[in-house]
Amino acid sequence: MAEEIVFEKIKGIHKVPREEFYSSGHRTCEGCESAMVMRMFSKASGPRTIALGTTGCMYVANTAYMTTPWVIPWMHTQLGAGGSAALGTSAGLRALMKKGKIPEEKINTIAFCGDLGGADMGLSAISSALQTDYDLLIILYDNESAANTDIQATGMTTWGAQTTFTPTGKVKRIMQTRWKKNVAGMLAAGHPNVKYIATAIASFPPIDLLNKVRKALSAGGPAFIHTLDPCPKGWDYHPRYSDKLGELAARSGIFPLYEIDHGTAKLTYNPPKPRVPVKEYLEKQGRFAHLKDEDFQYIQQRVDSMWEDWEIPGIIPVRNGTIRSEK
Amino acid sequence: MTVVEGKLVESQKEELLTGCEAVAHAVMLADVDVISAYPIRPYTEVMDAVSKLIADGKFFAEYIIADGEHSQFEIVKHASAVGARVFVGSSGTGWMYAMEAIAVTASDRLPVVALVGNRALDDPGAFGVEHNDALTVRDLGWLLVWASTAQESLDTTLIAYRVAEDPKVMFPTALAMDGGFLTHSQHMVRIPSQSLVRKFLPAYNLGDRRLHPDNPISIAPQVNEDWVMEIRMQNAEATKRVPAVIDKAYREFEDVFGRELGNPWLEEYMMEDAELAIVGMGTLAMPAKAAVKRLRSRGTKVGLVRPKWFRPFPTELMQKVLSRVSAIGVVDRDFSYGSPYYGGVLFNEIRSTLYSSKNHPTIANFIAGLGGREISIADMIKMIQLTYEAEEEGKDGQVKWMGVRE
Amino acid sequence: MGKISTLLDEVAEADIKNVEVNYRGIFQKTLARKICKTLVYAAKEEERTGFSYGRYSDAPERNGVPCKYFAVVAEMSEEDLEAEAGAKIEPNDVNVSIVVDDTMVKGVEPWGFSGIRPINEKVKLGGTLLVVSERSPLELLKNVAKKDFPYKIAVVPGKHSFSGLWVYKDDFTDARVLGALARIEPDIVGLEALRKVVPEKLGAEKIDALNDGYKSVIIKSIAPGEGIDWPYSIPTLPKWHEFKEGIVVKSVARGGRNEDYKRFTTRTMRPVIRFDTCIKCDLCWYACPDECFDPTPDGLFDVNYNYCVGCGRCAEVCPVPNTIVMVDELKFENNDSPYHEYKKDKEAYIEWADQKMGEKRVNYPFVTGTGLIEENVKKNDGEKG
Ligand SMILES: Cc1ncc(C[n+]2csc(CCOP(=O)(O)OP(=O)(O)O)c2C)c(N)n1
Ligand code: SF4
Ligand code: SF4
Ligand code: SF4
Ligand SMILES: [Mg+2]
Repeated sequence: MAEEIVFEKIKGIHKVPREEFYSSGHRTCEGCESAMVMRMFSKASGPRTIALGTTGCMYVANTAYMTTPWVIPWMHTQLGAGGSAALGTSAGLRALMKKGKIPEEKINTIAFCGDLGGADMGLSAISSALQTDYDLLIILYDNESAANTDIQATGMTTWGAQTTFTPTGKVKRIMQTRWKKNVAGMLAAGHPNVKYIATAIASFPPIDLLNKVRKALSAGGPAFIHTLDPCPKGWDYHPRYSDKLGELAARSGIFPLYEIDHGTAKLTYNPPKPRVPVKEYLEKQGRFAHLKDEDFQYIQQRVDSMWEDWEIPGIIPVRNGTIRSEK
Repeated sequence: MTVVEGKLVESQKEELLTGCEAVAHAVMLADVDVISAYPIRPYTEVMDAVSKLIADGKFFAEYIIADGEHSQFEIVKHASAVGARVFVGSSGTGWMYAMEAIAVTASDRLPVVALVGNRALDDPGAFGVEHNDALTVRDLGWLLVWASTAQESLDTTLIAYRVAEDPKVMFPTALAMDGGFLTHSQHMVRIPSQSLVRKFLPAYNLGDRRLHPDNPISIAPQVNEDWVMEIRMQNAEATKRVPAVIDKAYREFEDVFGRELGNPWLEEYMMEDAELAIVGMGTLAMPAKAAVKRLRSRGTKVGLVRPKWFRPFPTELMQKVLSRVSAIGVVDRDFSYGSPYYGGVLFNEIRSTLYSSKNHPTIANFIAGLGGREISIADMIKMIQLTYEAEEEGKDGQVKWMGVRE
Repeated sequence: MGKISTLLDEVAEADIKNVEVNYRGIFQKTLARKICKTLVYAAKEEERTGFSYGRYSDAPERNGVPCKYFAVVAEMSEEDLEAEAGAKIEPNDVNVSIVVDDTMVKGVEPWGFSGIRPINEKVKLGGTLLVVSERSPLELLKNVAKKDFPYKIAVVPGKHSFSGLWVYKDDFTDARVLGALARIEPDIVGLEALRKVVPEKLGAEKIDALNDGYKSVIIKSIAPGEGIDWPYSIPTLPKWHEFKEGIVVKSVARGGRNEDYKRFTTRTMRPVIRFDTCIKCDLCWYACPDECFDPTPDGLFDVNYNYCVGCGRCAEVCPVPNTIVMVDELKFENNDSPYHEYKKDKEAYIEWADQKMGEKRVNYPFVTGTGLIEENVKKNDGEKG
């Protein structure tokens, strides 16, 4: 029987639902933060949820055939199909409900996709899904690489990072010269029908992601959440420090945490000033071991500019009628 | 009410419809739940027609304009997984753009029904018919059927849902239609009533494979080498169950709608006592029939075999029908560069089918009508003549491109 | 048909030497590859042929998951060797099974539904299980499945060597393992050949480590029947018609866990919990990405050791010093519920936990490949104030 869904704000860690809907027995790395995103979104959404997941770590590592860690129904979808999977599932449910073929009730449709699958390949499908009036949530879990194929750079990889496509070499010290896309901001700016957009880090501030998922699911239309997930394998740090790195990403301001709820934008976490230098976050990751002081300074300066020059720090790169871009 | 062969049948109204419109009517009658559209000639007309039927309140479906064919096919795949009956389609390069989703739909055993308005593949861009687009799915687990008239398009669409969704089958099904010639020309089509369709086509039921919180399952977990052979084997064995389901669907169609459809697998035209058979799919059957008829009137014992279902391939039936003749001309509206004999796809399938036949007919191949070029009655007569010559000269396996400026 | 089967009986197996390296995914991948590649170069030095490969189905490797690397050498042409052993997922059996993290002797489970397999599963008659460890062969044997034929367990003294993807701190384990191998199976690789290739392939500074490995290896013969009755069953793979069409698996029941994939063979260290000093802050439960903690009625959190992968996140977030401590997995006999033990006899449990935690804390810096941190703690650090 259908259980009623009440999306109450979770106040404090003691109030976090105890039940797991993504359970033990998945082949993710020790300390994997993307696994934490799975755990948290499903806790927030509860049993009346259908999850769709694109190819990537959260497919290949999570499910090994004949076994599954999922408690809620889950289905694989293709790498670029996060948006379409959400759309098709939600449309299918709505059609069946409208025609009386299945009972009318709220079923959460949540599609998750990686940064390569979602922010690069599948951006068009996500954009399309966010233009509709279907009830769906897309979660971009961003571990800053094509992790499942053994860590290649994507459009979301931090500038300067070593990946297997952007090694450091004798002639080229830095191969990752793209600057991370501001996907959530981009989607918010261009999709007037989207009801809720947010960025989040599963471990920091605690419970933030859960409540953002709940807000997204009660927003009454398409919603999108971008999470930054420290990845012990690809970022090269000891798995026990995933929480710490998440916290440093927020405190240094390199990953601004915000939400845009029915058009109203607000920072949900304002890193106390002085912000933690980004170097403190970067130097704890082996993928940045080759960076020099000038590189750290370059990143710092761009992060500072985001906080100081943007109309709404971290979200809209506009000031006095100009779009901020790197000189 | 009219009486057909002693049975009461509700009147079926007649309308002048293009092949695409005929399919759109079938989609309406099948009470499809989710449709995903993206424009590309020539199949687009079906989506134009469907959207108008929805706009006019003739039926209700979630109609989603996708951002590309990949999404289009992913959308219906997922809608199908939650238990919705779906419709989708594409043509030429659009079909190729969707290929990843197309392949995975078959592996997921989801009974999506798609229309392929056959179109030449880019480059160069061309609108005309070629069968290569649809043929790309021949190895993937899609059921593949060619229609050659508007009426057949409507009928086969209903049959496609019935077959695809049969619990013994559960494979996606593509209905192929020659772009331009069939998709866009209007013919009189009998449209069955909703109540009869309901009688013929049971509700779509995925059973315990339906993705829903009441039936928590995981679909398509990652596998290692311990599983792939067995999973492929399941699919391979399942395809063997399809022919009986198709046979039954055609018989019941005839029962319910009171119309003869003939052999589901292939149309034999003037094949009794034929010594030469011309073989070809889709609308090229039209000039072929005319050619056969004219030659017959002069005493030439020639006939036409028009395969309808290409997947599953009717191996034994094809052997039986074609072993009776001593020469066969296979007309391919496709190419298969570098293939055995540098021939077409249908040609090589038929050659392989006849390998074990005792009388080893001479088989000639004609690549014709690519990119929408017309195949005339004269072309057909020429091909029949060339097939006779090949037999006389003992030249088996000749491939000739027809109608190329030389 | 008959002709072929007679022939099969007559065919002698080709004389091929197989070596496998059992390693922890990513953390020890570079190490395993270095060992295998150097071994092949050394074989070439001795005018034999060889090749090395990783077990393809381990990819993509996840931190900590047991993986395998192989080296194959033989006295035959390259073409013949490739024909015999070139297109395999893994060898049927091995002359030497190297283990670079001794906690893997408790069993290895590379994939869901593959079962927990004994570490010496592939060791052939007269072969050797060579472990990098600070323990003796007999201590290790307490975890190893019995075999019905004689083989050897050898130990090259050392700690597990861990690094990550990009930063690799070399502690010369590769050279020491190779030295030990030369001592155990000179037929596979000779010390002389290694002395020639190690400076070029691994670095001149490693010669001492090579000699040291050769000298320090401890070898113990294991008789048939020595070892333990393997407690885990290996699942039988169903036939094609014995499972559902459509690649569908039933979800885990509410409140349950994935029964066919217990993850504990991934861990090198396990969290030991002092329930008595716990302040019930929920943070360990919240931080575990493998959903290992079970809330208990009294507000404490039991940990399910069948699923704990040993990441250490719970220990890291726990606000009370020495309440969760990561401890060498080989110090434990079973995966029983610690909370249950605590409830049975609190004092005994606390004593037990304290003793397991010991006085040393083994830890890693942020970037794994920069080395291991070991420090002493004051005994009463963890006591409630
Ligand atoms: C169409 C397609 N191209 C390439 C791949 C290979 N592939 C599998 S997972 C993956 C990486 C995905 O990266 P991301 O979306 O960031 O997810 P992650 O693995 O990091 O979790 C790639 C490239 C694929 N599965 N499908
Ligand atoms: S590679 Fe990164 S994202 Fe993938 S399983 Fe490992 S930690 Fe998680
Ligand atoms: S070490 Fe702690 S956080 Fe990590 S898997 Fe084990 S119980 Fe969970
Ligand atoms: S983190 Fe430590 S103090 Fe908090 S509940 Fe867990 S064991 Fe107790
Ligand atoms: Mg990624």
